Amino acid sequence: MIDFIDYLLGGISSGAIIALMALALVLVWRSTRVVNFAQLGQAMFTTYIALTVRELTGSWFLGLIIAMAAGLVVGVIVHFLVIRPVKRLDTSGAIIATFGVLIALEALAAMVWGGDPEAFPPPINNSGYEAFGRIWPFSPYDLLVLASVVFLVLALSVVFTRTNVGLAMRASAFNPEVARLSGVRVNRMLALGWAIAGLVGAVAGVLVAPLSTLSPTSFDIFLVFAFTAAVIGGLDSLVGAVAFGIGTGLVIALVSGYSDSSNAPLVALVLLVLNLLFKPEGVFSHHKARAV
Amino acid sequence: MEALVQRFPGARLGVNAVTALVIWGLLTWVNQVIEPLMSYYLATAAMYATAMFGMTILLGLSGQVSLGNGALMAVGGYIFALTSMNWQTVPILGTPWNAVWSMVFAGFGGVVFGAAIGGIAARLRGPYLAGLTLGIAVGVPAIANRFPELLGGENGLMLQVPYPAGGYTSGDTSDEAVDDGGEVPLDEEPVYEELPDDFGDFDEEFTDEFGDELDSDPGDLSDEDLLTEDDLLSEDDFLSDDDFLTDEDFTTEDGFEADIDSDAGADLDAGLDGGSEASEGADITDPAADLDLAGVDAGVDAGFAIEQWQASMAIAVACVVGFIALNLVRGRQGRVWQAVRDDPIAAAVSGISPAGSKISAFVVSSLFAALAGAVFAQILTYVGPGAFTLGLSLSLLVGIVLGGRNSFIGAIIGAVILVWLPEFVLDVSADRGWQDQITNNAPNFIYGLLVVLVVLAAPGGIVGGIQSLAGRLRGQAKSSSSP
Repeated sequence: MIDFIDYLLGGISSGAIIALMALALVLVWRSTRVVNFAQLGQAMFTTYIALTVRELTGSWFLGLIIAMAAGLVVGVIVHFLVIRPVKRLDTSGAIIATFGVLIALEALAAMVWGGDPEAFPPPINNSGYEAFGRIWPFSPYDLLVLASVVFLVLALSVVFTRTNVGLAMRASAFNPEVARLSGVRVNRMLALGWAIAGLVGAVAGVLVAPLSTLSPTSFDIFLVFAFTAAVIGGLDSLVGAVAFGIGTGLVIALVSGYSDSSNAPLVALVLLVLNLLFKPEGVFSHHKARAV
Repeated sequence: MEALVQRFPGARLGVNAVTALVIWGLLTWVNQVIEPLMSYYLATAAMYATAMFGMTILLGLSGQVSLGNGALMAVGGYIFALTSMNWQTVPILGTPWNAVWSMVFAGFGGVVFGAAIGGIAARLRGPYLAGLTLGIAVGVPAIANRFPELLGGENGLMLQVPYPAGGYTSGDTSDEAVDDGGEVPLDEEPVYEELPDDFGDFDEEFTDEFGDELDSDPGDLSDEDLLTEDDLLSEDDFLSDDDFLTDEDFTTEDGFEADIDSDAGADLDAGLDGGSEASEGADITDPAADLDLAGVDAGVDAGFAIEQWQASMAIAVACVVGFIALNLVRGRQGRVWQAVRDDPIAAAVSGISPAGSKISAFVVSSLFAALAGAVFAQILTYVGPGAFTLGLSLSLLVGIVLGGRNSFIGAIIGAVILVWLPEFVLDVSADRGWQDQITNNAPNFIYGLLVVLVVLAAPGGIVGGIQSLAGRLRGQAKSSSSP
């Protein structure tokens, strides 16, 4: 039983980060009906930028801020240079293009920073708290991660539900034609969606890097986790992405704890298959995942 | 030609058989005359082409973006490795035909896995399918870690290439080689009779004297640095002759149209199977003969001869797969796939099951991927999680998109690009003196940019681009592209 609690505690922070990544995928999907398979490639790239800034200035926080700005810029660039020019009906083209961006970004990162895994040490103590005579697998850094994620999610929900920009973004996602007729600059809202997604992904990248190592391909597996969480959540739902992101993280932590961490990709795969078999439209959404 | 096909119902099969045979003959001849390093590139390109014929059907004709083909190659590779290593003494399935049977099992495994995955995946819409197959590409190689005793875990399995002993013996295949005549160089026949006597002796010498050296070469590949896709592509960086494949590709295309004869009957497609095995037989004995004659001091030749044999095997598989693919695509099934891709509802109204059509495309492409994986295992003499990465799946996608996703010629061009571009970058970097980390990753960077460019500017890839250019020159807008 104490094992169970340990594994759950250990999975909370990675679950929260997966939730952020899923959130980024959902933000892009809502704005342009594209799953951005390059999302975590962008996050990997901005995390390298954060690492460089941190090595130059010694400040983790400055690295995070610059990575967020870079994520914003990269998101907008990818949207304008790649996604907008793809023909609207060419869904396979859009998917392939995002994979092209992923390949290019991973190669570019390897060219600039080298392909070897690099350590990204946590900014604060990452050894567990001590209480009731034992060490719990929950550290000050986990607390920082959790606080950051909660803050970001709350900020996003305030933006989406309480501001005019948020309303315009929701309108553009819900019905672009009507939104345009109502005077919403839909294209700007779509670009804003990509920008916010890039920012969220950048935060997720900087937060997750200390939990493993940073290499050009080390986020590939998180792409699978985030996609799983986003799809189970309905791909359309911000709440679903957060809830199932944390859920996916916890399930992975439990399975890794009781068996072996190399099983994590298989766990994600099984979750994804089960979801697509029994509730392909996701838990929080009503659109169709199956074509036939 | 069309008139001929309409008059004789079986003629299409014959035409395809002649096409495959001509290409096979040409490539086999090329493989005999080029340098052994070129044979290695040829083998790799043929392996990629085999897998990408499946991508043409899946992505081009059926319109499904799948990243699972690298994982299905892993299925084929592991099945080949396990059956060819463990079942050598089993009667019937055992030694003389061991490797051929392993190939069959690999293909069968591909069909089973493809049907299982396809049943779930093929009915999903674009991004869901891509995401699920992405998970498969990342997850399936990790299965090797679940069964470390059987599958070798993270280290994978070293494979004994079924050469010169092992899978085949010259005696069994030489008959067919003689029967088939045509494509096999006649001057090599006398060698067959003498070989089996010296074979055993030679094999012992071979392993005693050179076992270390030969084993250490693939060992280096697998243990040190095989683990990323860049390394797979650019591992053998000695020399590069860029034009060796493109040239003969053009000749095959010419020969394609010109060499079609009226007596291309059904016996020719029967001849294809015999022919492909004959090529294996001929090429096994041929390098063995070289070794035998050259004696013990020809260690370099020994390494090269293996590559030539690998190339002949890869070519034979690619041609058989290409023949199957041509028959499927140019027949009813091809039209069914296209109909479902273009309008599933209209297809369903016409009595076609869209789900069935998509699953069948998945199964066929899985079969091809598994066969390519078996070939890949023999080229690397290794199977392991590091060989079948997400990078492999992505490079298949890159190849098919660049070459042209709607045609088999596009698949071949894509395969050539995948082999040629890393070598080209190596050449350039040698001239410019780039750092290793730039040289090793520049090909992927170029692939990524090219993929985006192709999607935006020429969705049909190189082949589609040439077709539309030719159409524009002829002053007629040609909208449909035929595979």
